[in-house]
Amino acid sequence: MKTDNSVNARWGQLGINPEEAQIMHIDLNSAFATIEQQARPSLRGRPVGVTNRISKNCCVIAASHEAKSLGIKVGMGLMEARLIAPDLFMIESDPPKYHWVYKKLCAIMKSYSPNVVMKSIDEGIIDFHGTRKTINKRPLEDIGMEIKQRVKSDVGKWMKINVGIGPNRFLAKTASNLHKPDGLDKIDHSNLKDVYRSLKLTDLTGIAKHYEARLNTVGIFTPLDFLNASSNTLRKQVFHSVIGDDWYQRLRGYEVDDGSTKLGHIGRQFVLDIRTNDDSVILPRFHYLCETVGKKLRFNQVDARGILVWMILDTSSQTTHLDAVQGSKEERTSRIYNTSSERQMPADTVMRQEPVSATSSAGWQDQAVRSSGGEYWQMRKMHKSTFYTDKDIYTRALYLFNQRPKLPVATIGVTCYGFSPTNRAQASLFEDQNKQEWLTEAVDEINERYGIFMVHSLNTLEGKKIVRQKIPAFGGSKYFELLLERA
Amino acid sequence: MTEVNQRIEVVTLFKSEGDPSELIFPARMRWRKEEIIFTELGLRHPTHKGQRMIHVFDMSDGVNDYRLEFDAEMLTWTLISILSGDKK
Repeated sequence: MKTDNSVNARWGQLGINPEEAQIMHIDLNSAFATIEQQARPSLRGRPVGVTNRISKNCCVIAASHEAKSLGIKVGMGLMEARLIAPDLFMIESDPPKYHWVYKKLCAIMKSYSPNVVMKSIDEGIIDFHGTRKTINKRPLEDIGMEIKQRVKSDVGKWMKINVGIGPNRFLAKTASNLHKPDGLDKIDHSNLKDVYRSLKLTDLTGIAKHYEARLNTVGIFTPLDFLNASSNTLRKQVFHSVIGDDWYQRLRGYEVDDGSTKLGHIGRQFVLDIRTNDDSVILPRFHYLCETVGKKLRFNQVDARGILVWMILDTSSQTTHLDAVQGSKEERTSRIYNTSSERQMPADTVMRQEPVSATSSAGWQDQAVRSSGGEYWQMRKMHKSTFYTDKDIYTRALYLFNQRPKLPVATIGVTCYGFSPTNRAQASLFEDQNKQEWLTEAVDEINERYGIFMVHSLNTLEGKKIVRQKIPAFGGSKYFELLLERA
Repeated sequence: MTEVNQRIEVVTLFKSEGDPSELIFPARMRWRKEEIIFTELGLRHPTHKGQRMIHVFDMSDGVNDYRLEFDAEMLTWTLISILSGDKK
C-alpha cells in the first residue's frame, strides 16, 4: 500500500477519538415492508416487496428481510424480482401508515434527548451529549434495548430496529449495520480496528464501487488500509478535495457530518404504465407531476428559477431515432449540443440537452437507465424570473417536454432548482400575474381543507388516477406533512 | 387483495390498560351476514380525508387480513379490503 509518511500539515498524526460513544443511530430496517408485515399478519415470514404502484414496469422500493435473503434488492424491477422469488408478494405503498410509524419513532427518540435528527423517514440519530449526567445515566446499550422494546410496544410486536452507538454519526451508522435485523452494537476506540478488520470497503456508508475503485488505485483495499492512510493521500490522491480530510476524521470517530444540507432541487418522477410517445397519454401524467412539484415548492416556501425535464426513452423495440439520425454515441452527444445551441432561445435562458453517457452523474438515474434498458434524455432551462404557480411550472416544463426525441417514454421526471425564499407577499405590477397567483392560493386553501388534489386542472384528471404519491424512500422526511394531507 | 368498500357493523372494545397501540380493539364485525371475530390488531394509524379524521385498523382473524376504516366525524365503520391468508 502506498502511504504518505510526510508530516501532515492539517491533522498531524490524528489518533482515534477516545471520547465515550454518545451518538445513537436508530434504523427501521426494511421499514415499509416490515410495517406492512406488522399491519397484515398473513404476510409475516413471507417475501414482501413494496412499490408505489403495481404495474409491469414497477420496481421494488422496499423489500422484507425474507425477500432480501432470497436476493431481492431495492430498485429491482418486478419481473426480475419474480424470476428470483415467484411467490414474492407485491403491495402498494401506504404513506399515511409509514408517517404514523415515523411519528411514533420520533416521539420515542425525542423522549431521550432534545438533539434528535431524523435522517430519513426510517432512520434517525440521538445525540446524548449533555444528557448523560442528568437524565440518561444508564449505559447507552440499556437505553438502546429500551427503545427496541418501546417500538414493539407502541407500534407492534413485528417491528425490528437496529441500534448503533458510536462517537460520531458515521460509526454509529456503521454499528447499526453490523447485525441486521434487530441488532444493537457499539463502536468506540476500544474495538474500532477490530470492526474495520471484519468489514469490506463497500460496507462503509458512503463508499460504493466508484470510490472503492479510486481507493484501490492508491493501494487501499480494506477499511484498515483506509484508516491507516494519511489525510494527504486521501485529500490529494483519492478524493482530490477536502472530502479526503473529512474521511480522515470520520474514520477515526470525529464528527464531520453534523452540518445541515441546503435544499437544492424539488422534483417528481413517474414510471409510465404505458410506454408510448402519444401526447394524449403522457401529458395528463406529466401535468399531474408538474402540479405535485408546485405543491412541494409552495410547501417549502421557495420560488424556483430553474426547471429540468428528463426522460428515460424506451429503445428496446426499435433502432433509436438518435442512432438512426446521428450515428455513434459520441457523435450524438456533440450533435445534440449543436442542435441545442442552434435553437432560437430567449436571451434569458440556459439550456442543456444530453444523453446519459455524456454528463449524467446521478447514480439513481444511471441505475434506472440500466434497469430499463432505455436511453436518458434531459433538458433544462434557467429563467431570470422566479416562478411557483402550477401554471408557470407546467408552461415552462411543457416547452422543454416538446423538445424531446420522438421515442416511447418509459420514465418521466420534472425537477425545479435555483431556489430563493418566496416573494409571494409582493403583488405584481401585472394583473394577469396577480390573478394567477391568487388562483393558486385559493386552490391550495381548498385542497388544504378538503384533501390534497381535491381541486386540480382538468387535464390532470387521468394523471391523478394513475400517478400515486411517491414515497420519499431515500430522501428526507420533510414532505410527510404534505403526504398526510392526501388520503 | 379484494377491494370491498362497504359499510359494516363492528363491536369495539375500549381497554383501560395494555399496550398503547391496542387500547382500542375492534373485536368482531358483521359482513354479508357472517360474523368475523378478530384475533389480532396489526396496526392502527390515523389519517385524514381533508379535515376529517379517519382511523385505519388493519385486523386479522387468524387467517385473513382486513382493512377497516373508522370515520371519526361520521362515526361509521367501513370494510375497505380483504387480503386472503391463503399463500398459494
